[in-house]
Amino acid sequence: MIFTPQGGLKKNRIDWALFLSALLLLAVGTTAIFSSVAVLPAQARIIRVQLIAIPLGLLVFGAAWSLNYQIYQDQWKFVYGIILAILAGVLIFGVVDKGARSWYRLPFFSIQPSEFARVGLILVLANFLDKRIGKIRELPTVLGAFALCVPVFLLLIKQPDFSAILITFPVALIMLFAAGASVFHLSIIIGYAFISALFPILWSIITLTPELLDNALVNYFFHLSDSWFSASTFVAAAVLGAWLLWRLSVRLYANVSGVYFAGAALVLILGFFSGMLVKNQMKDYQQKRLEVFLSPETDPRGAGYNLLQARIAIGSGGILGRGVFSGTQSRLGFVPERHTDFILAVVGEELGFWGMLLVTGLYVLLMRRLMQGARLARDRFGYLVNCGVFGMFLVYFCINFGMLLGLAPVAGVPLPLLSYGGSNLVATLAALGIAESVYSRRYALV
Amino acid sequence: MKDRQIPQERLDLLWILAYAAALLFILRLVNLQVLGGAHYREIAEKNRTQIIAQAAPRGRIFSADEVALVTSKPSFSLIYFPGQAKTGPEIDRMARALAKPLGADYDELRRNIYKAASREKPVRLAENLPPKIMLALSELKALYPGVDVIVEARRYYPFGAYLSHLVGYIGRMDAREWDSRSRDKNYSMDSRLGKAGLEQMYEKELKGKDGGIYLEVDSRGKLNRVLESRKWIPGADIFLTIDSKAQSAAEEGLKKSISGKGAVVALDPRSGAVLAFASAPDYDPNMFVLSGSEKEGLSAGKILPEFNVALQGSYPPGSIFKIITSAAILESGRVSPDEKFYCPGYYDAGSRIFKCWQKKGHGQVSFIEGLAGSCDVYFYCAGQRAGALAIERFSRAFRLGQTSGIPLPGEKAGNVFGPSLRAARKSYWFIGDTLNQAIGQGETLMTPMQAAGLIASVANGGIFHRPYYVDRIVKSDGQLFYQGKSETLSRVQLKDSTWELIREGLHSVVLEGTGQAAKITGAEIYGKTGTAQNPQGKDHAWFVAYATVNNEPSRIAVAVLVEHGEHGASAAAPIAKAVIEAALRSELSSKNRPAAPVAPPQGPGLPQPASPGGII
Repeated sequence: MIFTPQGGLKKNRIDWALFLSALLLLAVGTTAIFSSVAVLPAQARIIRVQLIAIPLGLLVFGAAWSLNYQIYQDQWKFVYGIILAILAGVLIFGVVDKGARSWYRLPFFSIQPSEFARVGLILVLANFLDKRIGKIRELPTVLGAFALCVPVFLLLIKQPDFSAILITFPVALIMLFAAGASVFHLSIIIGYAFISALFPILWSIITLTPELLDNALVNYFFHLSDSWFSASTFVAAAVLGAWLLWRLSVRLYANVSGVYFAGAALVLILGFFSGMLVKNQMKDYQQKRLEVFLSPETDPRGAGYNLLQARIAIGSGGILGRGVFSGTQSRLGFVPERHTDFILAVVGEELGFWGMLLVTGLYVLLMRRLMQGARLARDRFGYLVNCGVFGMFLVYFCINFGMLLGLAPVAGVPLPLLSYGGSNLVATLAALGIAESVYSRRYALV
Repeated sequence: MKDRQIPQERLDLLWILAYAAALLFILRLVNLQVLGGAHYREIAEKNRTQIIAQAAPRGRIFSADEVALVTSKPSFSLIYFPGQAKTGPEIDRMARALAKPLGADYDELRRNIYKAASREKPVRLAENLPPKIMLALSELKALYPGVDVIVEARRYYPFGAYLSHLVGYIGRMDAREWDSRSRDKNYSMDSRLGKAGLEQMYEKELKGKDGGIYLEVDSRGKLNRVLESRKWIPGADIFLTIDSKAQSAAEEGLKKSISGKGAVVALDPRSGAVLAFASAPDYDPNMFVLSGSEKEGLSAGKILPEFNVALQGSYPPGSIFKIITSAAILESGRVSPDEKFYCPGYYDAGSRIFKCWQKKGHGQVSFIEGLAGSCDVYFYCAGQRAGALAIERFSRAFRLGQTSGIPLPGEKAGNVFGPSLRAARKSYWFIGDTLNQAIGQGETLMTPMQAAGLIASVANGGIFHRPYYVDRIVKSDGQLFYQGKSETLSRVQLKDSTWELIREGLHSVVLEGTGQAAKITGAEIYGKTGTAQNPQGKDHAWFVAYATVNNEPSRIAVAVLVEHGEHGASAAAPIAKAVIEAALRSELSSKNRPAAPVAPPQGPGLPQPASPGGII
């Protein structure tokens, strides 16, 4: 396949819209970070890290852009090995910060390997799906894709880093969807994930509110997971329930295959066991973090307070904003985590509605260009990689905006390119560099 | 590129998802920032500002002759502003250091500071700091950041216990008062407000607008900078109709009286303006300001004598009621003023003997002689002739059983005694009741305020004004906010000849009758003594009088009640005289010998025959 590009070769080597929108977001974010940390004691360190991370990230971006992305497909085992190695290594050599062992401490800065792992996993998944594209509509393909994710997830839970899982899982789903996987299979996966997450969450909620145990049914359910014996009663109940429903559907002449009922029972049982496994394996501090994640009111001033302050900050910006470096809410410390997860509050307060429109527009443009890159990609691997990066931005965008505007629950998820976080910034720019590489190599002759 | 089998519609679906999310977020942003911007801006402002309220000086209260009765003066308060997150031991150390110069309880001080630190709100640690500890405090101020001394306006009553029942006092808010004012930005939890009297009734006008120091704080309550210092606006000044000299004379007279208890009310018969309003015992409103709390003030000042004798004390009127009986007699047409009744010192009502206060009797008495000598037998006979119903009707006309309408809370209406009330209660009216009714005994009750209204109506020809004491209220910028007006409530319609005869009688009471102690050279005094029988102890002494100078309309009518004063002539009349002299000082001095001094009353021992159990 040899094409003659219309606008000349050199001119189209780089997707300027993508690159410039990313740079602009980075500029807005850096300004907001500098403004919000003005009174923090860690101000000097934060500014230093940001000033190191920006050139480093741009360097990584350039390197990833000039490198042919197809090399990742060739070396996928190596990429996968590195992911597992850095995630395992952090559990041994890492330092604990805010209850999670997820940092490598280096002389000048710290590195969070999970940020790089999530980019690497996109490459590994893209390769896998590319290889199995002929059998994409079969369940084993879907399961295989998640089998690749499971070791990564387990290592993340060990840290624990729930937000990385929260981001990576939907990204994998989006990639499978873009590859053409069966919606039915995807919903099985979603159902399984939902149930295996549901059980630990339910148990944590019961632990948090002991008065629920007064209810005999809740009490029984809570103690189901205590031993394998009591768990088997749950299995029996699930199997029996599925069988009865199947018999009922036969009686009603509903033409439903028994496979679905068996599948539903299997998903329920597997979800229950993985939930039980997760719960029994969780250390106290991990349990604690999950509790804070679920019920932020355990935070002394309450996440309700944090969210309210963030909302006040955004709202008080009005249409024109209060001016750069003049937001009282963020500069006086009323907005928590204002340089990381709540950076949008600073933007909203200081730049106002127009600033928020600008940021939203830049994100939409960025995602638009990533998708365009996917459409134009030379091969299926490139297409899938770009879909993965697109999915990553989409998930971050939805969760972070949704949380700040009170449309989604509070989760410790940053906003890439805007939030402070050296590893996050470098990893994000690396992902964008790879996407640029896909774009610039869309013509076979390059 | 078709061979890659890119599922285009799936990409479109993902793309729609991104668009939809962005659209939703933008809609939410419009709601938050464009529509709710002002609202959230206000909250953000509130978040970052901490206000140290500085109470505005309350409006002053002046007498009619422009003597400041109530003012404010600067006072120093020690405040604590929770600054950098203090550790426990640091607060303890600070509390210990402050407790000594303040003379305060260490534990309480420590608790206050802790409370302020945990609520991140500034708190007043001490008020009204005496100057001598300021030096010690200024040293501590440097040692302990967050401690500061600020100037505030404090209420000050220069004359102490003076006109206190009218002025009232201020104090800290209780829970209920705070509930109703918590939304008012002008009040903070430790503001004081009027609790009684004028201070309470004109709270809104007197309050003014508090100033404040606006501080910018961060989320931990740490002080960042001073944003703005807003000056207070003082409250409006109230000018009373009270004459300070007359008021002093009234208060001193009561204080010097036998029991020290009683009331004096002086009205201007032309308008109803209150010239003097004294009620004893009284209290010093300063004590609520000086002490930390109202409770402490009360324990320091024993029981608060809040009972307002002038408005709330109901007493049998005794002989001053004979003014009303006279009106009934003369208006009835059944007794000629010249008709004489013989007074042997008693009256035989058939089943019972009713005594005259003059045991040896008055002999033949006409109306004028009867009123001047306060002859009970004359009023027994003539009153019976006029009829109990007529007397009852006139008691109502002279507003017994009705409050005077003075704008003060808790006023009592006295009690009307008469046959129609008995009938309403399905009971009987006896001849003895008529006799008691005619001389103001029995169930008739009257407050000093009503007595003042009664004598003022005699002075002005039957008009009852609503008594008022606020002449005008002037805002701090000089703008007249309120002007007191005379208001006529009702009028007693009597024949001119009746008024003449009553006045003549009252005049002869002072000239040659029982009220000679109230005689003033240069003014014509018309008065009536009264002694109200009191089963619980010594009799109460009444005296009501009005004065005219040069036959001009009377400018002052006064009612005096001395509890347990025994004789109106000796206990009450001198006080009335002093009040009248003080009120008319300018007229008297220009008319008479140069500078007639406010002569001290001639003392209680007047040549008045005292008869136990009798009625004067």
